[in-house]
Amino acid sequence: MCDCNSTEKSIYLPELAPITKVAMMNETEMYMHLDHDIGHKPGQFVEVSIAGIGEAPISISSSPTEAGFDMVIRKAGRVTDIMHQMQAGDKLGIRGPFGSGYPIDEMKGKDLVFVCGGIGLVPQRSMINYIMDNRADFGKIAILQGTKEFAQRIYHDELERWAGVDGVQVLETIDVAHDSWNGNVGVVTTLIDKIDGIDLTKAVNLICGPPIMYKFVLMVLQEKEVSHENIFVNLERRMKCGVGKCGHCQMNGQYVCQSGPVYRYSDLANIPEAI
Amino acid sequence: MSIKKLNKDVFKSFVDSMIASDQSVVGVKEKVQAKGNKFAFGPLENADQLRLDYDVTLIPPKKYMLPQTETLLTYEVKGESKQHVDEQKLILVGVHPYDMIAINQMDELFSQDEYDTHYMTRRNNITVIACDVVNASENIFASSMETAVVEKGFDILLTDLGKGKEYVAEAITEKGEALLATAVDATDADDKDIAKRSAIQEANKKDLDKHTLNCKPSELSSLLEQAYEHPVWEEKAKTCFSCGSCNTTCPTCYCFDVQDLVNWNLKDGQRERSWDGCLLKDFANVAGDHNFRKQKESRFRHRLYRKGKYVPTKIGGQVACVGCGRCVGACVPDIANPVAVYNRLLEDIKP
Amino acid sequence: MSKPRVAIFDFACCEGCQLQIVNLEEEILDLIGAVDVVEWREAMSEQSEEYDIAIIEGSITRPEDEERIKDIRSKAKVLIAIGACATTGGLNKLKNNFDDLEEVKKCVYSDASTMPHLETAMTKAVDEVVTVDYKVHGCPIEKAEFGSIIRSLLLGKAPEIPDYPVCVECKKNENVCRWEYGEICLGPIIRAGCGAKCPTASYRCFGCRGYVDDPNVNAAVDVMDKYGLTVDQLKSKMVLFGSKQGPTL
Repeated sequence: MCDCNSTEKSIYLPELAPITKVAMMNETEMYMHLDHDIGHKPGQFVEVSIAGIGEAPISISSSPTEAGFDMVIRKAGRVTDIMHQMQAGDKLGIRGPFGSGYPIDEMKGKDLVFVCGGIGLVPQRSMINYIMDNRADFGKIAILQGTKEFAQRIYHDELERWAGVDGVQVLETIDVAHDSWNGNVGVVTTLIDKIDGIDLTKAVNLICGPPIMYKFVLMVLQEKEVSHENIFVNLERRMKCGVGKCGHCQMNGQYVCQSGPVYRYSDLANIPEAI
Repeated sequence: MSIKKLNKDVFKSFVDSMIASDQSVVGVKEKVQAKGNKFAFGPLENADQLRLDYDVTLIPPKKYMLPQTETLLTYEVKGESKQHVDEQKLILVGVHPYDMIAINQMDELFSQDEYDTHYMTRRNNITVIACDVVNASENIFASSMETAVVEKGFDILLTDLGKGKEYVAEAITEKGEALLATAVDATDADDKDIAKRSAIQEANKKDLDKHTLNCKPSELSSLLEQAYEHPVWEEKAKTCFSCGSCNTTCPTCYCFDVQDLVNWNLKDGQRERSWDGCLLKDFANVAGDHNFRKQKESRFRHRLYRKGKYVPTKIGGQVACVGCGRCVGACVPDIANPVAVYNRLLEDIKP
Repeated sequence: MSKPRVAIFDFACCEGCQLQIVNLEEEILDLIGAVDVVEWREAMSEQSEEYDIAIIEGSITRPEDEERIKDIRSKAKVLIAIGACATTGGLNKLKNNFDDLEEVKKCVYSDASTMPHLETAMTKAVDEVVTVDYKVHGCPIEKAEFGSIIRSLLLGKAPEIPDYPVCVECKKNENVCRWEYGEICLGPIIRAGCGAKCPTASYRCFGCRGYVDDPNVNAAVDVMDKYGLTVDQLKSKMVLFGSKQGPTL
């Protein structure tokens, strides 16, 4: 037995990287930036490791057009609990990026509709900001964001900034009315009819939110006769190893850490465990 | 490469000299205190302990390639990690063909896409001496799964020509050739010996059939294509304890869990992986306690789909059930038998 | 960072779980190095009213016990129940199978049953009276598991407590299934974490760690039938540790 370096590098060995910025976005979500380039694509994720505590799969929230990468952390388990206690300068172990990401090239020239629920906006932002930085390559953009409660809203500055970009419409709603909120009240599907000037059947529709949301959004898109080829979903599973071995994220024959977490909805036709 | 013949004494001294060498030697031994003859792989102290007439071991030899628990990393808590790779050399004696085929499948799975150096380093340091089956176990169905004989993956293949009096030993790798060369008193096997060996193997292809699958293993994938909503999953899973015994005893199950441990100084520790099982209730849990395979029947179905359909797509169509029958014997409510489930499907569905 | 203050208290029990802590041997020095033990009747004479972590052994069987445990809870930041008596009620719940505790007392203590210190009530697990943060199951507790749970907590991480049956560990130990010997082993419905000690020592699982969260008790009828046994025989095996027991999460 030995701890040698003579053998090939372990696929389970994280690389330490310092956190350069943290900020609470609301009571439960923490923003983190790492000045650490990993060469990712929008829609991919990393495994964040804190030695002694464990590892957790975390979506990348920033576009590859920016230096380093962003994450948004909700306290949901051992690793994320500790991440919430961390500050700039503390180090995290990083493995990845993993997953297939969005097929950007085929989206070029098309209108895109993002339907996001709660922190579903977090991974979508990696694609949205990629579009913002390559605006001419894409058609009209609609960003639909639904949040349960006013206090849970995230990235509101950015939603405002996107709304100001030519050809981009941002529609936001909250589920529960609030005194400080003059906008839409209701679930995210109520925003779909308010999209202006985009033919949903010709657009690419990108959905990300809590498990329960998919069913309802997909139902509405079905009514609008949107082809399943033109819908992408971003699924949550327990990607434990990230490299297609451990089996935890498997849904039917698919290892989400390899072929997902972004899927073209038509590819999920024979994957009943997906949604 | 050579094919040798070793009589009882030559074989014994061959094994004893292996044990006397600087490599660790593990082989099949009788399990003490057991009811009837039960067998397990364990460290050999002398050649007399080796029982190549065994029927099946309680758990498969994969435990040497993929230990029940192994250290992947050592680390400073909240700090730097170092990879830990086990480089111990080992000779593994007495692997049956179906278990060898399972190991070959794992070799493929751990080396494809992302290369798992922890598994592969250990694997490459193991010299495998396989052996043809002499006594069929109570639940074996290797004949049905086309796993009664094996052609690759091992370094040496032993065939008992009769009651342990004579063995044919064929080396198919450099490692095996070098090891077999240490049996200095072995003679070259002649055509008659090789014919005897072929007869034994041909018989095994037919006789290791305590359960009989009513289709070809290659047809399972298309059978399962049509069986997702079949009532058998609920019928069988009704009495499932979600105890994972079918996973734990399976030679082709390789899913794992990873946990971080810390020493009493609270400063250092290790990241360990250990065997996991898709039948266990929490296997498909995600953060926030959402479980993507909450129902017993969906977990029960997942295992039989993995064996018959999902894993085969990763390994060139090979079915990931090798017919060892361990799960059949390990399942208290007796619902795990893959043949019983697949045959029940075949009653209603044409593959 | 100052070391967390730990106090160990016992209620109705045999104190065997505390003995397991004493039996940590060299590791007990590590434990004492990592925490400040401020009260522990079995091992020291000092007492303290100030502690961060309260470790509770034993079940709640008398009205005054309820007051005492509530007082401990109000002072402790973290409360850990250790051993079957504390986590599930354990053996002490045998008496809950009887409706009339006066009868039980007479049967056990005969003429002395009226003495005031023998006052008794229906047994409760600790979490039936106060909130329990973590449980270390078993009769007695497993030393290694206790140590790893304590270390997890000291790191600020929720400990991993198995929610799968004993069979997982039993099969890993390469045991022959006790059911093959015609025994009614409770392994398939009992929470692992013990390393399948009893089956490995050729005994059936007695069920001391309590049920897994979702035991398939309904399967019992079919399974008992298959082995030529009756559900009543199974129930009789579940009385010892499983009387009046709910889920053990």
